[in-house]
Amino acid sequence: MTLPTPDNDAEHYLRLARQEQRGRLTVYLGAAPGVGKTYRMLQDAARRQAEGVDVVVGVAETHGRSETALLLEPLDVLPRHRMNHQGHMLDEFDIDRAIERHPALILVDELAHSNAPGSRHPKRWQDVEELLAAGIDVATTINIQHIESLNDVVAGFTYVRVRETVPDNILDDAELIVVDLPPDALIERLAAGKIYMPDTAGRALSNFFTPNKLAALRELALRFAASSVDRRLSDQLRTTGKESDFVAGERLMVAVSPGKGGAQVIRHAKRMADMFNAPWTAVVVESGRARAIIGAQREQLADNLALAASLGASLMTVAADRVGEALVDQARQLRASQIVIGKSRRSRWFEWVHGSVAQAVIRKAQGVAVHVVPLTDADEKPDKPREALLARDDMIALAIVAAMVGLLHLAQPWLPFGAIDLLLLVPVILSATVLRLRAGLWSALWAALCYNFFFIPPLHTFTIDDPQNVITFLVLALVATVVGWLAGRIRRQAETSAGVARLNASLARFAGLMGGLSQKEETAQVACREIGSLLDVEAIIVTIEDGDIVVRGNDAYRALDIVGEAAVRWALDRGVPTGRDTGTLNASDWQFHPLKTSLGTMGALGLARPSQERIIRPDDAIMLASLVDQTALAHERIVLEGQARQVDTLRERDRLRGALLSSIAHDLRTPLTAVIAAAEAIPVEGAFAEEVSIARSESRRLQRFLNDLLEASRIEHGTIEPRWESVDLTDIIADVLHALRQDHADARVTTRIDSDCPFVSSDALLLRHVLINLIDNALKFSPATAKVEVELLCRGQEVVCRVSDEGPGLPTNTDSLFDRFHRLEGSDRVGGSGLGLWIAKNFTEAVGGTITAGNRAGQGAVFEVILPVFRKDEAEGRAADA
Amino acid sequence: MHKDVLIVEDEPAIRRLLVAALARSAMTYVEAGNASDALRLAAVQPAPLVALLDLGLPDRDGLEIIPQLVGYGLAVIVLTARDATDEKVTALDLGADDFVTKPFDSAELLARVRSALRRKTGSRTHPQRRDFEGGSIDREAHSTTIEGATVALTPREFDLLWALCEKPGRVLTHTSLLETVWGPAHRQDVDYLRVAIRALRKKIEADPSRPKLIMNEPGVGYRLAGSARMAE
Repeated sequence: MTLPTPDNDAEHYLRLARQEQRGRLTVYLGAAPGVGKTYRMLQDAARRQAEGVDVVVGVAETHGRSETALLLEPLDVLPRHRMNHQGHMLDEFDIDRAIERHPALILVDELAHSNAPGSRHPKRWQDVEELLAAGIDVATTINIQHIESLNDVVAGFTYVRVRETVPDNILDDAELIVVDLPPDALIERLAAGKIYMPDTAGRALSNFFTPNKLAALRELALRFAASSVDRRLSDQLRTTGKESDFVAGERLMVAVSPGKGGAQVIRHAKRMADMFNAPWTAVVVESGRARAIIGAQREQLADNLALAASLGASLMTVAADRVGEALVDQARQLRASQIVIGKSRRSRWFEWVHGSVAQAVIRKAQGVAVHVVPLTDADEKPDKPREALLARDDMIALAIVAAMVGLLHLAQPWLPFGAIDLLLLVPVILSATVLRLRAGLWSALWAALCYNFFFIPPLHTFTIDDPQNVITFLVLALVATVVGWLAGRIRRQAETSAGVARLNASLARFAGLMGGLSQKEETAQVACREIGSLLDVEAIIVTIEDGDIVVRGNDAYRALDIVGEAAVRWALDRGVPTGRDTGTLNASDWQFHPLKTSLGTMGALGLARPSQERIIRPDDAIMLASLVDQTALAHERIVLEGQARQVDTLRERDRLRGALLSSIAHDLRTPLTAVIAAAEAIPVEGAFAEEVSIARSESRRLQRFLNDLLEASRIEHGTIEPRWESVDLTDIIADVLHALRQDHADARVTTRIDSDCPFVSSDALLLRHVLINLIDNALKFSPATAKVEVELLCRGQEVVCRVSDEGPGLPTNTDSLFDRFHRLEGSDRVGGSGLGLWIAKNFTEAVGGTITAGNRAGQGAVFEVILPVFRKDEAEGRAADA
Repeated sequence: MHKDVLIVEDEPAIRRLLVAALARSAMTYVEAGNASDALRLAAVQPAPLVALLDLGLPDRDGLEIIPQLVGYGLAVIVLTARDATDEKVTALDLGADDFVTKPFDSAELLARVRSALRRKTGSRTHPQRRDFEGGSIDREAHSTTIEGATVALTPREFDLLWALCEKPGRVLTHTSLLETVWGPAHRQDVDYLRVAIRALRKKIEADPSRPKLIMNEPGVGYRLAGSARMAE
């Protein structure tokens, strides 16, 4: 099996498909073949091309009509992809090339077409979906009878059932263009041989072309288009807020049965939902009886649900024994205003015995309209293999009864007469509980007959003389039947709960196993082994690591074929199941289920089964969903644990780095202290005055540098915790000027201090550091003779400390001024760690203040430290007190 | 004869510097490189007058031996890092006289040592009067003079100035000042202290925004400028 791509590059179309902007769909809708949809589509396309739109023809069926073929000439036609299917060469639409070519508009004729087996999607409408998802506008054609929800209606009056249908929701957002031709004209065209019909369907199709049927089809097409326009209009109204135009509160619920008729009911419900423009829900009631259904029936039910989902219903499953009541309850919960239910035509007798769900619903429903869709019996009865009249179980039941009868016959002389009928109940109960209900009922009948034959005089006949014995016989028959029925029911319930218990036990075991693992490889191995044995399939776990597909969990499958790879990528990309038995890339041998978690899709679970059966039996679907969830969770946990470990490592490394930095800084500090003390001790005089002065200032600088580094590492580690106290900024400024040797009469710094400034709640040392950095900067960056002014002023609930210099000022863009290691041009000359302003900013913010920078009107820079008088919580406390 | 200073410092380079500075100022000294040596030397009678104590000692935390040193009668000056506010406050609370932050300026260090020595040796001839740079305070007359002129102080301001003058050059922590002047109930009311200091500075400082008399030690407390003299 190879993927139908010329370059076999699965990655490629995925990348292209990812382009999000969705394309628009234009649908040319016709009532019947031959109305001229393709022709009209091509005409429009030619016009669009003339307008400068990049138009490509993906598929256009000319059916040999020359005027249509003529229209194709000016257009760019995409070559078809030739596929070999069982010796036939089929030309199919080449979706990969289309996506690669990525035109603005592509024409894809015949939306309802089924692709050749082995194509990426089984249906052409899926190709169209992909094109739309890739952001390409698509124009396509369809005849009314191919629309899923109208399928029954059309079949109803044309007696032709079309198998190729398109789900209605594809057309939801499409612009519909009705290509209309009056029936007479159409028949004329048919007569003139202008309408192409495939040979195989020719005769059947000719059934269409009677004036009545064409008129009906035409009406259907027009009505469909009209309701589509209606819906779009009301959508628009809703978005513009005019809700009164929207029929409020209608809500539909449809009961889904496992029979083929279920599909018919679902389509009916869809039409009604469209009519009311109402949301709708498809409900399945899982009763004891429904659970007993098997095989083909189960699949039919699954198909029905899939149909409902594809038509836009939300799905719901309810477990209950009384179907009718459960449906009404559910309708109440859903606040449904309409219930749609199917009813097969059965004999009155059958209904009297079994009851009818529809009857029960009608009886119980209050305030809900119930629509009953009549079904034929054949529709309702799923095709299942007829069971033999007497199955193996029934034979065993008969044998047990026979054995009991023999035993009783021998023991009769010693037994009181009344004991025999009671003892005959034993095999009935036995077979009803151990075997099946039917076997129980059989044995009840058998026991009653045996009783009559062997024990009621006249013996060895089926006649009864004594009227008393007639009653005894009837009682035995009745009791046997009832007992058998009850026992069978109990057994079935026990089986159901045992099944549930088994399911839960398997899941619990699985969860337990997965919980203990911490390695990817190991987890995959265990998960695949367990899932494989639980579902009786081959399982693998596929992930994409560094762009490559990695298969884990099953040593037998180290590599996937190209279709498998494409399916994996699709599953991971879109988060939907792909591969066998699904709608996408079902040519793959594998079915892939994405492992979705809160972290994204972790990978995919691949399942395969050597036989041709469905990979997932309908009964296992719930279990599979749980297993997929558990596996995904296990993978998520491993990833999270890995991340946590990584974070721990990083944190430890960071801690070590911090420890190293402070230990180095400490070790540097001690000798530096000695150097500074020594330099300060030498008087700045005599021949070496200049050198001593340099030694002093440079060692002080080195010390500030070191302090900056230490402070920076404190900031980085978030260990700045202000020591809150009431701070008088006057004190701080005085202290800073003292430290900078600027408190002498000859100092460059002048102060202007509002002596009535309130104290601020702050940290004295942090503020001291901020001001030292700012004032020191101001001194460094302005000429040696220029003044630096420090102002303290109050402004409402804030105190502002302003440091201005007469230096060159700041660049106009001061965004990065407070960044770490930011240095102004020319600042190399004055030297600094590049951390000063960053530290100032961090410290200011740590005490709840802000710091700003700007230029003075004349010359020089100005920095402002704005401090709130009260701490945030204090201020709030005060406000609360007030 | 007692020594002037006990140097407790484990770092040889700094010890050598301290020794050189003290020797230059003609002060006598003994050296210790760790806490146990320091305690041994402090126990020798007559004990040294002042201890220069580095807190990071190899055998013990310097803070631990402050009470013992004080107990032996030494005035303790702690050598500490600039940002170690809590350490400073603890040291002062444990009885230390003063602190000098590293890296220190030897002139300033010597001034502190001298001031401490003076407090140790100085005799108070006039128990009710203290002089300070540019002024004096007299408790008996309840008067304060600055540059010869009388300044009117409120009772609190007077008490505060007196408290500072009682231990000239010594750092008094916020809590100790609050306790002395306002009473134990107000140990935490730093605002009271700030307001009073500000008011006091306006009355006794030439330029209140650049105080020369009442010096601030950020986060720790206040001191009366070290050059204050005892009344003789």
